[in-house]
Amino acid sequence: MVSRSRNNLSSHPNTIDMKLTITNVSKRYGNSTYGLKNFSITMQSGILGLLGPNGAGKSTLLKMVATVSKPTKGLICLNKNNIIKDPNYMRQQLGFLPQDFGVYPNLNAVEFLKYMAATKGVGGTNMDKRINQLLEGLNLMEAAKKPIGSYSGGMKQRVGIAQALLNNPKVVIFDEPTVGLDPEERVRFRNLISDMANESIIILSSHIVSDIDTIADKVAIMKNGSLLTHGNQEDLIAQINDKVFETTIQKSELNAFKLANTVISTARVNGQLAVRYLSDQPRGNSVSKEANLEDAYLYLTKNN
Amino acid sequence: MRHFLAILKYDYLQRTRSYFFLITLCASLVIAYTFLPSPDAGYSTIRISDYVGYYNSSWVGYITAILTSVFLSLMGFYLITGSIKTDSETRVGQIISATPTSNFTYLLAKASSNILLLLTLVGIIFLMSIGLFFLYGDSFSFELLQFVQPYLIIVVPTMVFISVLAILFELIFGKYTVIQNVVFFFLFSVMLLYNPKSELQQTYDVFGSKVVTQQMEKTVREIKNTVSNEELAIGYIVSSTQQTKRFKFDGVDFSTPYILSRMALVVFGFMLLFLISPLFHRFNLRERKNIVRKKTLLEKEPITNDINISGLAIMSKNYSILPLFKAEFLMLIRKGKSWLWIFNSLGVVLLTVLSIDMAHQIVLPVLWFLQVHRFSDITTKETTNRMHYYAFSSYLPLRRLLTSQLSSAVVLLLGLALPLLIRYVILLDVQALLSIVLGSFFIVLLAAISGLLTKGNKFFEIVYFFLTYANLNKFPLLDYFGGIVKTDMFWIKHSTVVFLMVVATFFLRKWKLNNN
Repeated sequence: MVSRSRNNLSSHPNTIDMKLTITNVSKRYGNSTYGLKNFSITMQSGILGLLGPNGAGKSTLLKMVATVSKPTKGLICLNKNNIIKDPNYMRQQLGFLPQDFGVYPNLNAVEFLKYMAATKGVGGTNMDKRINQLLEGLNLMEAAKKPIGSYSGGMKQRVGIAQALLNNPKVVIFDEPTVGLDPEERVRFRNLISDMANESIIILSSHIVSDIDTIADKVAIMKNGSLLTHGNQEDLIAQINDKVFETTIQKSELNAFKLANTVISTARVNGQLAVRYLSDQPRGNSVSKEANLEDAYLYLTKNN
Repeated sequence: MRHFLAILKYDYLQRTRSYFFLITLCASLVIAYTFLPSPDAGYSTIRISDYVGYYNSSWVGYITAILTSVFLSLMGFYLITGSIKTDSETRVGQIISATPTSNFTYLLAKASSNILLLLTLVGIIFLMSIGLFFLYGDSFSFELLQFVQPYLIIVVPTMVFISVLAILFELIFGKYTVIQNVVFFFLFSVMLLYNPKSELQQTYDVFGSKVVTQQMEKTVREIKNTVSNEELAIGYIVSSTQQTKRFKFDGVDFSTPYILSRMALVVFGFMLLFLISPLFHRFNLRERKNIVRKKTLLEKEPITNDINISGLAIMSKNYSILPLFKAEFLMLIRKGKSWLWIFNSLGVVLLTVLSIDMAHQIVLPVLWFLQVHRFSDITTKETTNRMHYYAFSSYLPLRRLLTSQLSSAVVLLLGLALPLLIRYVILLDVQALLSIVLGSFFIVLLAAISGLLTKGNKFFEIVYFFLTYANLNKFPLLDYFGGIVKTDMFWIKHSTVVFLMVVATFFLRKWKLNNN
């Protein structure tokens, strides 16, 4: 069950119609290795949660949407503009927080954000005000004049978030954004994304399902460079509604149990193991459980 | 032993699988090719008075061996140094330090990897020397021993010692690479100028070359029937082929003490390594630095603020490159230790007060070279700082970002050269003025192109070092800032080269953007 669901964004009065279309996009490395293969999806304003195990091709896809790399074949269009041919159209409205980003350690946060604003081609009289607002909102004001090289991991991550929001972006890409953030910051970050989604296309990539399930309007699940499925969370979960069970087994049985079933999680209970698993034919003493996005994700990635 | 072999193998593989190594390999081949000038070439590399040897096996084998020993000692040091630093930067070192690998095992593996790297280059040069013999020495018989012997006795021990020395210097000077490089160059010069007077003193010659050159001098003295010392010249000596006389060189009979001294050099190197290994930091530098000086900022207050997205001020479009230039310039200024600016200030004063020729020919190239660490990573710093995703997705990355990067470095160099530029303005010497401006463009573009090709800054640093060295020795062919050559054609040729380099830089960057 989705713990928090956002309103249907297409009905929001301030929604600006943004449309990102990815058609048959592939990225080939060498002769036969594909990072991404025939990937197609269409996105509009709102949050798309991109889920997939490591190596699924999430970052490869995001880098191409962010115009950092070019697809071997296929088409990526933003509002009918081909961004492979005209990457600057995307760059003007892009906010990008890469998975493994760095900073120039000798610059302080204000200098760094001014630099980033310049790289994005924005500035003007409101620049200082916006930078201050962002630093204030991300609790970085006190350290704003200190070199970023001395920041903690969480502070650097927040500087990364601030730079992604500098240019009032209409397409925002967050690749594993919650890495380095503590639990409270994660919640605040999720709220921030929700607020932004009214006017922007937000692509949120993660392999942590809980980062996605509370805020994503739609979810795409990837594996081995291909799109397994794409749709509303409810529709994805509905695929496995009668397939999630829980039972108790002896510890020694676990390996054999794993061979016969898709185990989602295990927990120790009174010297035994409580096992949550996916199955079409549950064993005798199993109890049916309500499915969630994590169950659907594991079911789809393990059975495809 | 298992740890040693593993570190050695993967360190060697990691270093040889880089563009930097590939380019160094090609450069070594080119340099080795010039070690033995073609019979009609207008230069010689070893010359005793007016004499050079016939191109028999002994001459080719020994000449290429001693030149390799000397040149690869200098070039090789700059090539192999920094391997511990690389482990620190990649954090591999921290993983290794948490294993049972002892300090000595780690350092020995690193030194051995250095040795293998240099011996790989030596092997290539060795094969090249044999090839050159067959190319030029047609009437003489091929004697393999005359090639193997000097390389084995002279070159190999030198390479082992230099490899160990590179590790020792890294341990002693740590992150102060500029001091490390300067001290090594000073040491190299001392070793090069060392002139043994007896057989015993020959055993202290690190390069092992003096025993050969003194044998050559002796042969020439016998031919000329004189007892006075003959003038020996090593390097790229411009000379007329018509004036050159030939003599037959039959190699050297290495004495047992000499051979033992070469073996002792190897043992001495490893002993030094063993003795210094307890001082190895085991990659605990950052923690130490943080405790002593810079603490990571900690937040005392819990986060309570929130961003009101709809309330954020809206920025306007601004495509000026000025803010980018300003930030890039700021980064150049702040890079490195602040006390280096004392040397820069001294250089600027010297440019003002010294004679204009001395200021232009000596102070300017040295002052510019002192900035090498500031701009050698001009096109690689995005990657090393993991900023490349931002750089590659920036608005008009070629026209705006690359231009601001290049121009900020040029402005830095011209800013330092300002007193000299003003002096030339007063003298109305437009040609000299243009030469310096072109020189600043040339060196910045060379850094940019080297970075784009090798994906690192080391190659440029080595090339720039040799370029500076050559200019201080007034080698006209490598004059890039009009200090030595003052003809009308110089700046016309030079501006063409600079223009082509601009094109190459933008082309390579664009290619990189398209093929990321």
